[in-house]
Amino acid sequence: MSPTDIPDQTQPVLRRLTRAAELRRMWPLYLIFTTFALAALLAPLAAPFDPMEQDLFARLKPPGTTLGGYIYWLGTDELGRDLLSRIIYGARVSMMVALLSVTVSMITGTAIGLAAGYFRGWVEVILMRLVDIILSIPAILLAIIAVAVLGPGLQNLVIVLGFTRWPRYARVAYGQTLGVANMPFVAASRFIGLASWRILVRHILPNIVAPLIVVATLEFGLMIIWEAGLSFLGLGVQPPTPSWGSILSTGRNYVASAWWISTLTGACLFLLVLSVNMIGDFLRDRFDPHSIKR
Amino acid sequence: MNSFLVKRLGQTILSVWGVITVVFIILQMSGDPTLLMVPEGATQADIDSLRLQLGFDRPMIVQYGDYLWRLARLDMGVSLVQNIPVVDILAPRIFYTLYLASAALLVAFGIGLPVGIYIGIFRNNPLSRALMAVVLIGQSMPTFWSGILLIMLFAVNWAILPSSGAEGATSIILPAITLGALSMATVARITRTSIIEELGKEYIRAAKARGLSFAAVIGRHVMRNASIPLITIAALELSNLLAGAVIVETVFAWPGLGLLAVQSIEARDFPVVQVLVLLGSVVYIGLNLIADILYSVVDPRIKLDGQQG
Amino acid sequence: MLKKLLLTIYALVLALAGLGADSAMAAPDKLVVDLVNEPSTLDPHRQWNPDSYYVYRNIYDNLVTRDTAGKIVPQIATSWKLLDDTTVEFKIRTDVKFQDGSPLTAQDVVFSIKRITNPEFKSPQLGQFNSITDATATAPDTVVVKTGKPYPPLLAQLVKLSIVSKAYTEKVGDEKLNLEPMGSGPYKFVSWQKGVKVELAANENYWRGTPPFAAAEFRAVKDAATRIADLRTGKADLIVSLNSDNAAELKSASNLAVLSAPTERVAYLMMNTEYGPLTDVKVRRAVAYALDRKLIIDALLGGYSRITDELLTPAHFGYVEGVKAYPHDPVKAKALLAEAGYADGVTVELVTAPVFDQRIVQAIQQQLSKVGITVKISMGDMSTFLKRRRADPEGFGDMVFGRWSCACQDADGVLYAMFHSDSVWSKYANPELDKHLEAARSAMDPEVRLKHYRLANDIIADQVPSIPLYQAAAIYGAKKNLQWTPTANESLFLMDMSWK
Repeated sequence: MSPTDIPDQTQPVLRRLTRAAELRRMWPLYLIFTTFALAALLAPLAAPFDPMEQDLFARLKPPGTTLGGYIYWLGTDELGRDLLSRIIYGARVSMMVALLSVTVSMITGTAIGLAAGYFRGWVEVILMRLVDIILSIPAILLAIIAVAVLGPGLQNLVIVLGFTRWPRYARVAYGQTLGVANMPFVAASRFIGLASWRILVRHILPNIVAPLIVVATLEFGLMIIWEAGLSFLGLGVQPPTPSWGSILSTGRNYVASAWWISTLTGACLFLLVLSVNMIGDFLRDRFDPHSIKR
Repeated sequence: MNSFLVKRLGQTILSVWGVITVVFIILQMSGDPTLLMVPEGATQADIDSLRLQLGFDRPMIVQYGDYLWRLARLDMGVSLVQNIPVVDILAPRIFYTLYLASAALLVAFGIGLPVGIYIGIFRNNPLSRALMAVVLIGQSMPTFWSGILLIMLFAVNWAILPSSGAEGATSIILPAITLGALSMATVARITRTSIIEELGKEYIRAAKARGLSFAAVIGRHVMRNASIPLITIAALELSNLLAGAVIVETVFAWPGLGLLAVQSIEARDFPVVQVLVLLGSVVYIGLNLIADILYSVVDPRIKLDGQQG
Repeated sequence: MLKKLLLTIYALVLALAGLGADSAMAAPDKLVVDLVNEPSTLDPHRQWNPDSYYVYRNIYDNLVTRDTAGKIVPQIATSWKLLDDTTVEFKIRTDVKFQDGSPLTAQDVVFSIKRITNPEFKSPQLGQFNSITDATATAPDTVVVKTGKPYPPLLAQLVKLSIVSKAYTEKVGDEKLNLEPMGSGPYKFVSWQKGVKVELAANENYWRGTPPFAAAEFRAVKDAATRIADLRTGKADLIVSLNSDNAAELKSASNLAVLSAPTERVAYLMMNTEYGPLTDVKVRRAVAYALDRKLIIDALLGGYSRITDELLTPAHFGYVEGVKAYPHDPVKAKALLAEAGYADGVTVELVTAPVFDQRIVQAIQQQLSKVGITVKISMGDMSTFLKRRRADPEGFGDMVFGRWSCACQDADGVLYAMFHSDSVWSKYANPELDKHLEAARSAMDPEVRLKHYRLANDIIADQVPSIPLYQAAAIYGAKKNLQWTPTANESLFLMDMSWK
């Protein structure tokens, strides 16, 4: 459909990522991302309070409030829960949803794209037609309907987002595979009688993984935004589990009376997604300068 | 060209049928609107009788056949909840969604294009990096949050713009900015990429050698060629923006299709949801087709051979 | 090429912007109301949901209505009497004219009753009116309504019956009546801009007097934060569906007022007595003792809602004083759980929907966790919620948090539907309770009915198939100079409002 997906540079992604000069230039982005990732990983250690523990006598207290010997550094929410702890645990939930759904869609999409690009023929026709169908359904509507069917919740959210987003990876994997599959070393492997799955996994996959990681990085940021959007529509994770989306969508009802809830959570979400997007942007420049699509 | 169109048309019909089927199956799994329509405390008999009246007692395959047959006759059906033809519900809203999406596109291009040109010409200077970060902001904020912030600022605190609705000339501004911000970064990036590419080409050096000013080179040659991918992106982003409108319309009470979609999914108003999804996918497929055709018109070197998916 | 394209888009946007410019400013004597959704219908015989009837009840008059105190009073009917247990005779006004100038007659009343009770018409409200078997006009000012068997809530149901014009409906057809309604009420229909607003204009010849505003506009604004912004910026004069925290925020603004009324909606925690751990009455009582309803109401509901010890409110017929209440007593709750064999705790599933106050659900969850009951919240959208709400015992979940409204202010619409073993909304079977509910449903003597409801309420309080939490309040935000007293039946009668 568009001049995307032109295999460009097939260097291993990690080596390029860690190249010293570039790393130095991007350190603030990595720092932001690492901070949130650590907070998410170490949430039980990092959070001063239980993020679910309510105190109905300490509702909507501003940042820095001291009550009964405890300091609420970032204030409390509408049920008197410590906002700092909720943001830390929220990082965990939001990043987990994003990471898992990206993994699900990347694996599904890559497998389908590889198969279509390598086997060609009717496999290609059926799979790529399926990709077109899913891509043409407005993704957010598909997600809303699917959540309505499955019910909200962390697990279903991952399934729904994974199910909605895989065609993007399938497109890229397909295009890349088409390019790589024609290369002499693939024909040679086939000639010496290597099994198809072996060729796919050992020879083609390593050569197409870079652009897929670029897509995954950008999708990671997008999935954090989507989780928030579905929370706003009442289809996010189940209460009282904190996620950035759920805190933000409740907190926006208090923009005037308790600004800290939505502003602080929103700022965290913004910083994380911005840094991920900038890293993704940078990676795309390195691997896929012809790409014109998000 | 003709065989290309025929092939594309065939593919399109196949895709549309697939969309219809996928959506039909998912909606069937999501229950039906009967329970939402009867008053609380309705007896099983009342519920069953309404379900019977609405035709939900029939086997799924019969409902599916009925639905396909209606669509084949271009009959969009009647809303179960509002009891009026779906076309009458949709028609007035299409205008508002198109209006919002084009205004958002204008915002995205109005900011994304100059930024893209600048950072394409002056690569790697600090201002370039800062500008790129600025356009990326739009992509990094959930619209339901940025939307309410804009309302608080411009409508409540400064009282210079209306807070919601679609009355008056100024009511489009906040929704358009909120939605358009989503696409700014994409536009800027594509512009930059094409400019970098064009600047590296032979004819630029030739033009410079002829003594043309830098501005003239950019204006007359670079932008002309760089506009090709931008047209494609405009078409593709338009369908992205139509989807993004779902949340923006909810926040600003903008009476478009996105808000209708959310409401009719909640209400399980199947005929409306089905037509909306169908419309969305037809628009997506259509815009892709248009992008391809435009592409070949602007740059006759590109042939429409139908090999792209 | 690109420049041309951009110029075209720009010109297009300017042109479009110009289109809406003339309707920008609201007239001062126009009342603008922000609802949540647009009406699903303006045909009063179709759906009965607030966003619809808020609007159409201003266009139509009803046979009978409720006064601000909640008493059933005449509107189109002037008086009524029971001819026998299944026959009511209504005298109707002869001086009422429809907005098209034609007189409202007994024939129109009969037509309206027959229209809503005709199964072919597919009214979702059918179940509330199908006790009516016949309606006849015996004189120009007399209508006789017959029911199949004695049906005491008949009048309470007829409060919801709007009178449409027979001639107009037959002339324009059902579809047009929905799109261009015409009634005898204080406001005339002007336009319904789909998805945007419904506009009404005063009916200058209205028989009850001149309506207070020259025009009214009902807008659809789904997002509560946006509705509040609309009120603050003056775009709306009255907004609906706020919670207590929104109200607290509005109170700080000097030009705005918070209006509220306790409604006939009761928030409840219903328990599955037919499947799972809550089949044991000890566990159900433990839940009741574990809840601190007073804390929830004081801390979260800001005093707008009131505690209630039965599933009814003082606004209902059948409400009785002095039903047994369960005080907050976590020690007793733990003891009861231990007795039931759950000394180490128990896990239950609580089913709810986003439209109900999520703060309350989470507070309940925390209070129950303190006595060892772990609550897993299952929140689906309204359609999913309703499906589970009336599922069989295995699919119901262990508890449901919801708010019940029968829109009839009669115990029959609450207790029978929620607790009679025949009802799909009940997860409780008690022959003794069934007996009282059936007796109260068929006796025409209010004293007899009250006696049965007294006993029914006592059984429910003792056996706890459901815990009543509070009488929910409807909270509205308004400009300070709007004079209006909201009522329990959650109506927005423009006739009852005025500018101060």
